[in-house]
Parts: sequence; structure tokens; C-alpha cells
Amino acid sequence: MFFAAFDLPSSPVGAGISWPDVALSFFAIVMEGAPFLLLGAIISGLVDVFLPAGVIKDWLPRSKAQGIFAAIGTGLIFPLCECGAMPIVQRLIRKGVPPAVATTYMLAAPGLNPLAMFSTFLAFRNQDPWLMLGLRFGFSFLVILSLGFWLVRLRPDWMLRAETLIGPARIKPEMTPNPGLVLTPRPGQSLGGLQQFTGAVIRDFTGVLLFLVIGAAVAALFSTGFNRNLLAPVGQNFFLGPLAGIFLAQLLCLCSTTDAFIIAAFAPFSIPAKIAFLVAGPLIHLKLYWLYRSAFQARFVHALWLRALAATFLLTLLYSLMHK
Amino acid sequence: MNLIARQISFLAPAAVMSAWATVMLHTIAGGHINRLLSPMFRNYVFAAAILLLVLSALHVLLYQPNPETDPAPTGRLRQFGRWLVILVPLVAASILSPSALSSTTLNNRLNSTNGVPAMPSMGPATDANVQAELSANPNQPVPVEVTDLIRLGKSSSQMTAFDGRKVQTVGFVIQQPGQPPKLLRWIMWCCAADAVPATVELSGNTSGNWKDDQWLEVTGTAQFPSTAGHVAPRINVDTIKPTSEPDEPYLSP
Repeated sequence: MFFAAFDLPSSPVGAGISWPDVALSFFAIVMEGAPFLLLGAIISGLVDVFLPAGVIKDWLPRSKAQGIFAAIGTGLIFPLCECGAMPIVQRLIRKGVPPAVATTYMLAAPGLNPLAMFSTFLAFRNQDPWLMLGLRFGFSFLVILSLGFWLVRLRPDWMLRAETLIGPARIKPEMTPNPGLVLTPRPGQSLGGLQQFTGAVIRDFTGVLLFLVIGAAVAALFSTGFNRNLLAPVGQNFFLGPLAGIFLAQLLCLCSTTDAFIIAAFAPFSIPAKIAFLVAGPLIHLKLYWLYRSAFQARFVHALWLRALAATFLLTLLYSLMHK
Repeated sequence: MNLIARQISFLAPAAVMSAWATVMLHTIAGGHINRLLSPMFRNYVFAAAILLLVLSALHVLLYQPNPETDPAPTGRLRQFGRWLVILVPLVAASILSPSALSSTTLNNRLNSTNGVPAMPSMGPATDANVQAELSANPNQPVPVEVTDLIRLGKSSSQMTAFDGRKVQTVGFVIQQPGQPPKLLRWIMWCCAADAVPATVELSGNTSGNWKDDQWLEVTGTAQFPSTAGHVAPRINVDTIKPTSEPDEPYLSP
């Protein structure tokens, strides 16, 4: 008997979970995410110091509908990952950008940016890449547009945490992502700008970092411990396939520039199941749920979660039925 | 007591950020970063570590403890808990992380290997590249990666050129009940959390009492048998021997 010393599970489905692997995955996720979160906090600090609220207001379109299209358009042009987006979106809201517009940008930037589209084309280069690229872009656009027009009807105080909801008013410590952090400036400093910038970066970074740590722990647990083969039997089903794709995206918590490579290799999934995975993942998953909670009320995040996944499911189910 | 609490509250942000920077730098210096992130992300971690140290210094220089004349801020204990949640899991993970993903995780991800897009280590996938590799040193086994063999199996001309050629590669050997042994290598796109396994079958002299996570060097003949139109690359093994962990434990794009 070859390799008799190996202690391998008898069945892939019953593989179980390895806690050291969870630690490795958690460590990898936070090491990958923290630099982008810090970059987001630095940009947020620069916006705080150098971008007056009035200037941002002048840039914005007057109508809400135009604002939603502008937010999606900005997401198309400026690649921004999920982790880096959070401090910037919170800062923009504090600077007076309507929450619906800022939130639409937050949803559009990871899923619609050119890097995500390019990686989708590369990943599916042997599997009809233009179709996959077109479906991902088209369905993502439609889902984000529908969410955008839902967002403009919401009251900001229903969406946002109390500390985020201050608009262009002067920022107090209790109104930041890290409300318990007390920063007392040294007297007699002539470095007001640097002090303001440093304080903003520290508050934003440490405030969102807490949620990144929690989200990474949840993501590591499920991405490591969940056996993907469990979904294989339903991956080709016209109804359950898209649901399986959405479900897997929630558990694996992948970045939008990586997800296409992972799902392209997952042979048991049909095209609608893969598209559902690619559309739903960048909008929300278990890690993003916690990151969103750094700025938004729990009830809003739950509603966003439900609507994003329902819209994704309906579109992919429609495609599935048309090609049944 | 109140003075100590004020000092702790003041120093906590700088201490936590410095601790994160220290863990990052230690991970880079010890080479453990290679087991966590693909090469393109590693420099970002280094830059972030330096910036966190700068921020820590700026915090101490630009700010001061809350004056004793001010009332003690509410929720101080809650804030202390936040710092612990930010710090403790990171330090624990840095200590507890193994050098490689285990066979348990492998089995959770294994069935996805058939469609793994191979990433060549030999440059663009052209016939000329393959021919250049083959003719470079005809008396020596061609150094390849597991993913090279998978990629070659997708091109009939390249497969024909490589079929029967001696090759040498490294990876883990896995054995599942009812299946031939396989040589495994993890592919990492961004970080270890998204790593997926790529495997080729082994045949011939595959005997040995290898450990689960032991790095092995396999030398043998490349073969590309086809079953129902599906090519499953295989190495007919001459020798398997233990080897050291490669500089890059994962294959990355």
C-alpha cells in the first residue's frame, strides 16, 4: 500500500475543518486587506484636510438620478477595492455627498471597475470570455442601478450609523468610525493640518480595521471549512444553480479581481451559476457585511443584502430560463 | 489609577499600530509572507508597516493624554476591548499559522482542479517556447511546474512535443482512496485564502512513506493519456525524494 502513513479523509464531502488553516487564511486576508484599508484612510485624511465640502457639493449633479449614474460612472473609471472604499465613502458622506450617491459608488467600484472586467476576460479566456464579460458587466450594472434608485428613496438616518450621519458639520470624536478614541492635540502646535490629517487617518484606519478583523475571521472560517463539492450536484440546475453561485460567493468572500479565476475553474457550475457568483460577490458577502457595518445601520445592511442577492438571482434565473 | 488609565488610553492607538507594523515586518523578514500573499501584494505590506510606524510616532508627537481636568471619557473599557479585538487575533494567527494548507482544506477544494487554468512558468504558451525548453538541455530532465503539465495537456502540438520527455518538478504527494497518487501544488491568486490545488497523476515508482506536508522532488516521464476526450497529464515516476520548500511555496500568476 502506497502512502499508508497519510491520514487523509475518506470522503471529500466530509473533509471537515482545519483550525490552523483557518488561522492561516485569516492572517492572509488581513495582511492583504490592511494595506488597502490604510490607503483608503490616507485618501480619506487628504479629503478631510484639502477638499472643502463646498467644492464636492459643486461637483455633484443636482438631480438624484444623475447622481446615481455619476456614481456608477465613477465606479467604472476609478478602481477601488472593497476594503479601501469604506473609509473614503464614510468621509465623502461626512463632507456632504448624499449617502445614496456615495453608497452607489461603494457598490459599483469593486464590481464594475476595469481590473475586475479584465480579470474576468482572462479567467474565462477558454470559456467564451466575451459572453462572460458581457453578462457580468450587464447584470452588475442593472443590479447596482436598481439598488441606486432604491437608495435615493431612503432616509439617511435609516441607512447610516449615528456617528457617520453628520454631513458637512464639524467632526467630533464621537462622530467617527472609532467613537471611543480620544485624541487630545498637544497645545502650541503649529502643525494644524498635519494634526488633522494624522487624527483622521488614525480614526478611520483603526475604526474600520476592527470590522475588517471580524469580517476576515468569518471569511476565513467559511472559505476554509466549507466543502465546495457540496454545491456541485446543484450547480447545473437552472433554478438552484444561480442560488448555489450566490451562496458560494457569500462564503468565499473573494476580491472582485480574483473571483473570476476561482469560479472559472469550478467545472460543476453552469454559466448562470458562475455569473450569479460574479455579480453577487462584489456587492456583498460575509466579510463585506462587517465592513459595511462600520458605516451603516444593521437594518440597512440586511435590507441591502436581501435586495442585492434577490436582484442577482432574478436576473440569472431569467438568463437560465432563456437558455434552458 | 486614573492617571494610568489615561496613559493607556493615550498610548493604545500607537501601541496597536506599532504591533501591527511589527507583525507585518516580522512576517516579511521571516519569509512567512511568501506563504500568505502573492508577490504583487508583498511590497504593499512592507509599505503599510512603515506607514503605521510613522503614524504611531506622529500620534505620540502630536497628541497627548487627556488632561486630568477633563472628565474621564465614557466607554473606556469598551474602547479597550476594541483594541484587543484588533490586536489579539492578529498576533494569535501569526503564531498559529502553519507553513502550508493541510489535506483537510485540500479536500474541501480538490474537485475544482480539473478546470484550473494553468499558469506557465515558461513564458507565453507558444510552440516556440515549448521547443526552446525541450532543446535547452536534452540530456537533463526539463524543470516544470505542475501547472505547466496541465497547460501542455490543452495543446495537441505542445503535448506531442513533450510526451515521453523526462521532467522534474516539486510539490506534495497526495493519496486518496480508490485513486492514483497525485502531485499537488497550490495556486494562489491573491492570498492563501483563495488558494486552489492543481494536481497531476503519478504512476510507476511512487512508493515512499512521505508526510502529508512534505516537499518532494519528482523526476519521471511526462505522459498525456486521454480518457473520453479529456487529457489528464501524468508523470511516470523514476524517483521521488525529499527536498526543501521552494522560495515560492505557491504558484502565482
